[in-house]
Amino acid sequence: MLSREEWLPLARKLDWDYTYVREDEVFPPVISGHPWLPHTEWKDWEESFKTSYREYVDNQYEKDMAVYAVRDAVGRLENIQKLAAPWMNSLKVHAAALPLAEFTGVIGSLRGARFGRDSAWRTMSTFGALDEYRHTQIPLLLFHQLVRLDSQFDWAHKFYHTNNWFAIASRHFFDELTLGQNAIEFAIGTNFVLETGFTNLQFVGLASLARESSDHMFERMVTSIQTDEARHAQIGHPVLAVLMKHDPEYVQYLLDKWFWRSWRLFSILTGLSTDYLTALDQRPYSFKEFMEEWIIDQYLRTLDEFGLKKPWYWDIFQDELDIYHHMIYASAYTYRATLWFDFVVPSPAERKWLRQKYPKYWDDMEAVWEQVAERWRTVGPGAANELGVHGTALPTFCDLCQLPLSAGTPRKNTATVLVREGRKYIFCSEPCRWIFLREPERYANHKDLVKRVLSGEAPADFSKLLTEYFRLTPDTWGKDVYHGAYDWLAAQKTSSA
Amino acid sequence: MSDEKVRMPIPLYGFLEGDTLGLLMLAEEGETVLQLARKLQQAASLRVARVDQIDFIYNGKAIDPGITVAQAGFQELDRFDVISRGKL
Repeated sequence: MLSREEWLPLARKLDWDYTYVREDEVFPPVISGHPWLPHTEWKDWEESFKTSYREYVDNQYEKDMAVYAVRDAVGRLENIQKLAAPWMNSLKVHAAALPLAEFTGVIGSLRGARFGRDSAWRTMSTFGALDEYRHTQIPLLLFHQLVRLDSQFDWAHKFYHTNNWFAIASRHFFDELTLGQNAIEFAIGTNFVLETGFTNLQFVGLASLARESSDHMFERMVTSIQTDEARHAQIGHPVLAVLMKHDPEYVQYLLDKWFWRSWRLFSILTGLSTDYLTALDQRPYSFKEFMEEWIIDQYLRTLDEFGLKKPWYWDIFQDELDIYHHMIYASAYTYRATLWFDFVVPSPAERKWLRQKYPKYWDDMEAVWEQVAERWRTVGPGAANELGVHGTALPTFCDLCQLPLSAGTPRKNTATVLVREGRKYIFCSEPCRWIFLREPERYANHKDLVKRVLSGEAPADFSKLLTEYFRLTPDTWGKDVYHGAYDWLAAQKTSSA
Repeated sequence: MSDEKVRMPIPLYGFLEGDTLGLLMLAEEGETVLQLARKLQQAASLRVARVDQIDFIYNGKAIDPGITVAQAGFQELDRFDVISRGKL
């Protein structure tokens, strides 16, 4: 019997020459990806962490048992009920947006498992697909019990099956990144950009917030998931190394595109939880600080290592770190009935903290929150007054990222209109416009929510839009956690009276 | 058939200075540009305090607030901005 050291290289490196078919028929360019290279160019592909199937199964079993042990110890409903109400809404965001997105990662990984260009890559992708199944099933299992506590948790299953505006945006992202992607672009977009960078926001950053918020169940779950991510993310590096020898301009394009697209989505997924839905005394850092420490430093180091440049839009991106997710949060708060989770108005103490962390544009955001607070003072607190503190006109959306036109600053929104082949498009930012124009045939036929309403595909009546198209109900649509009954608001009213 | 056509509102992207997102505004051909600007201010009033002295920006220029939407020549899904007077 072979030893592990003798057997593993045979098992993970098992390529052969084809005699009945051509290599490009076995690995068609359209699904294996660009550039198409003969296997001789890929034969030295090596992952840095090697594992056998037996080792994989043993490790995963132990990790699953550890998660279940924590669930049994601190994950019961009575434990969850003790968590702060705003934090519970962070969980709802994660529960809806991530587990089924991870399932699309199964499909993308399986594409790598069949059409990756070296057998070691295909072996790693097979483990990656099994990982992504786990990342779908564990959260769905753990969040399912919470539906009894709060029906908004039902959106863990429901979200991607609706035409909710944020579901449209998330699907637009994951359909391209994972479901419909060739093996090479998947390895660069998902394994390299998303998993060595942005998923740290959810699986490391949020784990840290969960610990501070005493949510040990969630902390254990995302930490366990992160150990898988760290392993299969390494697929990206050796793929990138081969591509750099043959088409470095294409590599630069893929990185620039997927960094921007990932930034757009994760600034919302993580930014809102970090800076608004975690109690002030439980925030160990701001979203911007976490981005700088966990994403930017590491990403720039990696670019440098491969001789790549910063994205051309780096100045725009750095400016957005100070404002974009704040623009989105304020917009979403004032359209909260269009979403499946609840919001809070930042208190004066929280706004003071936000001003310290984000001094550049906070004056403009302060004015917005003062106006919202003034409306609550006028209509008075109470569930019956929710819609009195809610937007009525239809928000507008970017034709690339499908997110609200909330880029730039309150003083200068950066949306730009483009006319192409007789059709009009609008983009929230120059990078979104640039991505669209690099591959217009990929994006041009997708309709954003406004165009669906104008074409009659979605109801123009706001109430019907929420219930029939977004699949929300008065019970499940987003509200103010406190229905405007804030002590600080009442105190301000008394002192000004 | 009557010669008089049924005038459909023109959907436009409206951006109010101080706001956090753009809004879809339906402009009637017969209303003035000032009325359209006030409509945007009203729609964004939950987030932005009303300013009386304003400029209406279309195609990068301030336009006469007294002209009608039809005279201004708006096309479907054009962008317009409403900003404080003299900030252009």
